[in-house]
Amino acid sequence: MRGLTVRKLYEDRKEAFHFECLTEVLESERLITVSDVHRPGLILAGFTRNFLSERIQILGETEMLFLETLDAGQHERAIDRLFEQKMPCVIIAKGLEYDEILMRRASEARIPVLRTPQSTTPFIHELTEYLENAFAPQTTVHGSLVDVYGVGLLITGRSGIGKSECALDLVERGHRLVTDDMVIVTRRHNLLYGEAKEHLRYHMEIRGIGIIDVRRMFGVRAIGKNKRIDVEVRLREWSADVEYDRLGLEERMTTILGKKIPVVTIPIIPGKNITVLAEVVAMNHQLRVHGIRSAEELSENLVGTMDRSRRRAGG
Amino acid sequence: MKEKRVIVRRKRGIHLRPAQEIVNLTGQFACDVFLQNGSYRVNAKSIMGILGLAAAEGHELTITTDGVDEADALNEVFDLIESGFPNLKEDE
Repeated sequence: MRGLTVRKLYEDRKEAFHFECLTEVLESERLITVSDVHRPGLILAGFTRNFLSERIQILGETEMLFLETLDAGQHERAIDRLFEQKMPCVIIAKGLEYDEILMRRASEARIPVLRTPQSTTPFIHELTEYLENAFAPQTTVHGSLVDVYGVGLLITGRSGIGKSECALDLVERGHRLVTDDMVIVTRRHNLLYGEAKEHLRYHMEIRGIGIIDVRRMFGVRAIGKNKRIDVEVRLREWSADVEYDRLGLEERMTTILGKKIPVVTIPIIPGKNITVLAEVVAMNHQLRVHGIRSAEELSENLVGTMDRSRRRAGG
Repeated sequence: MKEKRVIVRRKRGIHLRPAQEIVNLTGQFACDVFLQNGSYRVNAKSIMGILGLAAAEGHELTITTDGVDEADALNEVFDLIESGFPNLKEDE
């Protein structure tokens, strides 16, 4: 499991959240491993079961106001209950004042306490977003990613089959290249996003020509920095043994980082225009998104026609 | 499937010319060849893939081969990287 140190969080977001570190220690014994955060109201009130100690604990105005209503003994016990948990860190929002007991218990438990002037709920949203990005599953895929009519096409296939040439042809026809031959895929909010490795961005290798800079050659309208991956287009040598989809009644799926996306396998035959096929894949996907399924509609029409002619013949 | 680790021994790392040497070699084999640097795993028949590794001197790469000629491919790719690309000059 990937983990993030509290120090890394502090240093990455110090400026954005105007973090101040209230404890002497910034090194937590526990790594941040989840993107969810928690408001520890119930444990302060005395309910300790099912406490989510792996999460960052956020103290907002409600928690602090609640602590103020307690007498000295109850107050101390409430803080004790919280710091008996091994949490990665505690963050006080809204720049709220804290008391001495809280800081003392935090130091004893060696749990860092940070403070931000931001309001609690917007802060939680921004923090969660940062953590989700930090924990987003990532992988590299051998393929090219092109934005075709707003649809992210991931073009895959063995080396030398013509992925780059297909991508180049698409660029020539006005579509946007995101990355060639190597896609860094990240899964966020149950969607897949692809981008180039930064130092290779907008460069392509074309066999026989070498490395070209697509942004310089075709201009900014030919490129995109990142793109949601909607469909995989798999290029394969034509083989008599393989059955290709001739109807498109079922959508075939492939799985990347645990997320299923449609995959279209296109047989490569000399003289066939792969680029037009790629455009049709993109448009067909767009139609499906809009609820239009050509094969099913044709099938219904056909069945309707046959029904009518049977009735006429029988009646 | 076979796997072997190798340390990059070129001062300027695996940049364009060494990457070309690798793809020229891997392209001769039928099997799949992968190179991994840290969490990045790429197809070693792709120039852009290899350049994406940004493999600098001292980095440890994992070579993985999978297919009919995986043993030969593994040894030859290992030898090429291990020997520091003997066909290239030091500053190439």
